[in-house]
Amino acid sequence: MDLNLNMNMNAPHSMGTTIIGVTYCDGVILGADSRTSTGMYVANRASDKITQLTDNIYLCRSGSAADSQAVSDYARLSLELHEIQQGRPATVKAASNIVRNLSYNNKNRLQTGMIVGGWDKYEGGKIYAVPLGGTIIEQPFAIGGSGSSYLYGFFDQAWKENMTKEEAEINSEGATKNFYPGDTLPLWHEELESHNSLLEIISSVSPVPMST
Amino acid sequence: MSKSTVDVPQRGGFSFDLCRRNEMLEGKGLKPQIYRKTGTTIVGLVFQDGIILGADTRATEGPIVADKNCEKIHYMAPNIYCCGAGTAADTEAVTDMVSSQLLLHRYATGRESRVGTALTLLKTHLFGYQGHVSAALVLGGVDITGPHLYTIYPHGSTDRLAFATMGSGSLAAMAMFETKYKEGLTRDEGINLVCEAVCSGIFNDLGSGSNVDVCVITKGHKEYLRNYQLPNPRTYVSSKGYSFAKGQTEVLSTKITPLKNNLVVVAEGEAMEE
Amino acid sequence: MSIFEYNGSALVAMVGKNSFAIASDRRLGVQLQTVATDFQRIFKIHDKLYIGLSGLATDVQTLFQRLVFRHKLYQLREERDMKPEAFASLVSAMLYEKRFGPYFVQPVIAGLGDDDIPFICTMDSIGAKELAEDFVVAGTANESLYGACESMYKPGMEPEELFETVSQALQSSVDRDCLSGWGGHVFVVTPAEVKESTLKGRMD
Repeated sequence: MDLNLNMNMNAPHSMGTTIIGVTYCDGVILGADSRTSTGMYVANRASDKITQLTDNIYLCRSGSAADSQAVSDYARLSLELHEIQQGRPATVKAASNIVRNLSYNNKNRLQTGMIVGGWDKYEGGKIYAVPLGGTIIEQPFAIGGSGSSYLYGFFDQAWKENMTKEEAEINSEGATKNFYPGDTLPLWHEELESHNSLLEIISSVSPVPMST
Repeated sequence: MSKSTVDVPQRGGFSFDLCRRNEMLEGKGLKPQIYRKTGTTIVGLVFQDGIILGADTRATEGPIVADKNCEKIHYMAPNIYCCGAGTAADTEAVTDMVSSQLLLHRYATGRESRVGTALTLLKTHLFGYQGHVSAALVLGGVDITGPHLYTIYPHGSTDRLAFATMGSGSLAAMAMFETKYKEGLTRDEGINLVCEAVCSGIFNDLGSGSNVDVCVITKGHKEYLRNYQLPNPRTYVSSKGYSFAKGQTEVLSTKITPLKNNLVVVAEGEAMEE
Repeated sequence: MSIFEYNGSALVAMVGKNSFAIASDRRLGVQLQTVATDFQRIFKIHDKLYIGLSGLATDVQTLFQRLVFRHKLYQLREERDMKPEAFASLVSAMLYEKRFGPYFVQPVIAGLGDDDIPFICTMDSIGAKELAEDFVVAGTANESLYGACESMYKPGMEPEELFETVSQALQSSVDRDCLSGWGGHVFVVTPAEVKESTLKGRMD
């Protein structure tokens, strides 16, 4: 992202983004922030980076807004035809491979990383990451966008298999969508026990007398 | 064009004939040229019955004001209008092209155009040219599915918004929207807020100026309010003006050609039978 | 140095009562060297339609030839002259076709339309139309011309006064521009006649 302060409004519309996809016992949960920026200017503070591809498959977009919208529009077109031809809902695997092919075949022209997530009756909830060059990786959870570097540590620590969650879910019941305004977002560190200082922790442990 | 010896009119699309020559000229140290831009404030918002679009009326060419009262709210369809910012030729060409495609689509389907159709046509064109066609647009309209407002960037990305601003004055205008916009504005409140936002661009952004154009679109009805506000009247008009005596300019030669006025064509022979 | 300033030019068109005037300077230079002092950049399309092309002389002549060709095709097909509005759209389309490799010209179009209502318009080199009710200017002396016309123009001028005003605006502007000058060509077009004059100007 262009971090110098001259606000380059002609910069292509891009998303300094955090996108997340997580599988859990009943399906998948997709998450994204809602900021779109041109240089230093927030062009849209309520953007929707989780795009619907089919009834049960969604796509998280990061990178160039134009590129990722174009890819998702083409993917939606292909999937609609695919579903008509097959006469059944598309699988997450099929959808993510369509996205991957678009991304791979045009890799020199596209600046976008995506996460495809959804539920189908064959394989249940699945997450596929399609990063910059057009590879496809099936993962239990995936993170993406410029903000993802801050999340690796947290996810490595916090992710468990077969979690249960009641928030924004895609499963056999269908999809629900939740929106949290920035000031009411639940913060994970608020769930930790608070300490005033490191000294408290150290002093709470009774010192072991030295002995020889 | 290079294929035929005769310069027959092209069927469409861009021609790159002169690119090599122009590149050579630029390579020789000649400065690239400035195109006419609309250093602009364009805005739009959703109000209780539909969409209101607003724009200033200044066109600039570098630091020069090329047009003091130009039109930046372009017609797309009877129920859809589009504000344009960026290179004037591009905004004009792209909106004209899409509006004619929409008209043909209406003839083919016999239905009212949808804002989504206009949006897709615009964004695929702009995405195809990868930002080289520099048109930044605010697209608004009311169709069978209700009111819609979008911004479209030159690279082809789009945002669906309740209130939108674009152009060099977009920050000044957005400041007004962010402080005063609320859901369910009445028509008058909406027009006033749009005018305030455009005026904030006119007075705080050097690329924007002159007057305020407004367009109100509601279900089955639209109102194009050209020069709705004139906050910058001329202050330097002399009541007498300059007058030059006849024959003051030194003339070397004059040629007067009378025009054959009202040339009557007499048709010969009998009129054709029906 | 921009490519537009290579040959030097000044162009202005002004609206009068049921009439218009279009005027240009006569200099053709190669940068600061004057090559010709009787250069034509205003061209007749038909009796009541004129186009002035400022900018690079080679493109001026090429574009004019293409325009004549297209207008003749139109005349053959339609058996009538083009209206100024249609002609302006044609010029605009031809310039925009070369969006990414343009002709280095800025045209000024002036004509009498239906019921002899005057029409003037200018464009940038890629065909962004600018219609005006009073006057339009183009060329290397455009800044001075804007100032001169802005103060000298009056609405509803009779042909004689229009001629004087346009001439004075042109002369006073080119005197402040090194790259244009050497007198001028002025066309005053009324429904009844066309008056074409050559002006005497400074020769420095």
